Amino acid sequence: MADTKIRLRPAKRGFAIVPERLVTGRTLMFLIAIMTFLSSVTLGAVLLVQQSAVGWSADIGRQVTIQIMARPGEVMASNLRSAVALAEATPGVASTRVLSEAEGQALLEPWFGTGFDLSALSIPRLIVVNLSDPKGADIDQLAINLTNAVPGASLDTHDLWRTQLNSMAGTIVVSGLLVFALIVAATVLAVIFSTLGTMASNREIVDVLHFIGASNRFIAGEFQSRFLAIGLQGGILGGGAALVFFFTAGFITGSVLPVQNATQISVFFGQFLPGLYGLFGLVAVVLVIAGLTGLTSRVTVHRFLNRISV
Amino acid sequence: MIEFNEVGLRYGRGPEVLRDLTFAISPGSFHFLTGASGAGKTTLLRLLLLSLSPTRGTIHMFGEDVSVLDQEKRLRLRRRIGIVFQEFRLLDHLTTFENVALPLRVRGEPESAYRANVEELLEWVGLGDRMAVNPALLSGGEKQRAAIARAVIAKPELLLADEPTGNVDPDLSQRLLHLFVELNRMGTTIVLATHARDFLKRFDFPRLELTKDGFSING
Ligand SMILES: Nc1ncnc2c1ncn2[C@@H]1O[C@H](COP(=O)(O)OP(=O)(O)OP(=O)(O)O)[C@@H](O)[C@H]1O
Ligand SMILES: [Mg+2]
Repeated sequence: MADTKIRLRPAKRGFAIVPERLVTGRTLMFLIAIMTFLSSVTLGAVLLVQQSAVGWSADIGRQVTIQIMARPGEVMASNLRSAVALAEATPGVASTRVLSEAEGQALLEPWFGTGFDLSALSIPRLIVVNLSDPKGADIDQLAINLTNAVPGASLDTHDLWRTQLNSMAGTIVVSGLLVFALIVAATVLAVIFSTLGTMASNREIVDVLHFIGASNRFIAGEFQSRFLAIGLQGGILGGGAALVFFFTAGFITGSVLPVQNATQISVFFGQFLPGLYGLFGLVAVVLVIAGLTGLTSRVTVHRFLNRISV
Repeated sequence: MIEFNEVGLRYGRGPEVLRDLTFAISPGSFHFLTGASGAGKTTLLRLLLLSLSPTRGTIHMFGEDVSVLDQEKRLRLRRRIGIVFQEFRLLDHLTTFENVALPLRVRGEPESAYRANVEELLEWVGLGDRMAVNPALLSGGEKQRAAIARAVIAKPELLLADEPTGNVDPDLSQRLLHLFVELNRMGTTIVLATHARDFLKRFDFPRLELTKDGFSING
């Protein structure tokens, strides 16, 4: 984008007094672009983790599992039948499915490997209970009924898993926000640094303007609108790069990975494509960073002018 | 208009560059400021421009004690003063036109209001065909004329000029001096620092003289 085009005051006010190409302008522009990119990606990741966690948590909540341990003197088949009957009699349960022994063993394969003979271990049999109404289902009652009526039966609601998932997601979200805050702080510091450098290297302009009757307000306005323009350019560049990054990441998970893995990844990581909210978020990040640049440089320029006060 | 009372000035911990300056300049007058190189002419003009504060004594300008000016008042006074710097101090990233228009631009005037005036003045100092050129590309004498044009464009009540004829041939320096005399006739108070003896002979204006022994005002 041509940097002459962002003019925040009407052009009829006259020619630009601050050089279009400030000594530090380009450096600052790239710095802000990088900071905007990092902020966007950080916030994107935070959003992704947070939304995915909510999604998984809800998915997991829609299922409970009944485990029945083999007990000496008990007939597994009839225990399975009574457990299924109890489960299906519970309000809010949609369906049940008894996993075969082979399926149960298959679930353990990742831990033991394929060659391991699991039949010797007498692993528990599993019944997957799908809930149509996770909130309304009386799971507690089902658990009590199971322990009373079916020896060796227990109910796993995955609560532990969900709690761990939520606390992990929470940790990631908080860390992400902390990183975001640090990036913003670093941006502010860099803008202060660069503004002071720019003012010092343009000291002759500032002095001459003072001598011919320019007010501090006027001088600050001239410099600040240049910094705001630099902030906007950097922000747009960084935001655009982040957008490209998100699309590329979405594209890779969508097409480069084998279909099965890709679906798994999008199950695990949600959609990389930012969607409408994500786009709004991106625009918001760009505006926040540009605004912050403008504000920071404004304060810095004013402090500089008050300090030199010729 | 200007009153100096026992004014002294030193830079930092250095020796006093100016000592015991007491004089008054009335509105509409024309003063030469003379003295050897290093005598303190530029320093005195900086005091008059409010860009230095005296280390001793008091200065009144336009009826105000300059030691107690706040930013707002200092700005108001500055806008009544025009200055031609010894080393011009034109801004190289602007065109000659823009440099000359700058005092009006910083006062918030729209370009449509001043364009004709600035062009007319540039024609008058002989820079009509150099308006769009960067000052860095101007000759010494052209820079000088641009600097003078910038100093007078906003019609100051007090015009300070530091060696404004130092870089030009005798002919041009005569013309420039006549420009200052003309401005003075129209009411501008002028303080003009110069070495040029022929000026001093030809025009019978009072002289502020800075010498090794001190300060005197003659004429
Ligand atoms: N910013 C400064 N800091 C310290 N000393 C200075 C400064 N400016 C000028 N001086 C000293 O003050 C003295 C007067 O300098 P000034 O520039 O006023 O002389 P001048 O009369 O204008 O000389 P010239 O005719 O060569 O322009 C000189 O000795 C100079 O070295
Ligand atoms: Mg000098």
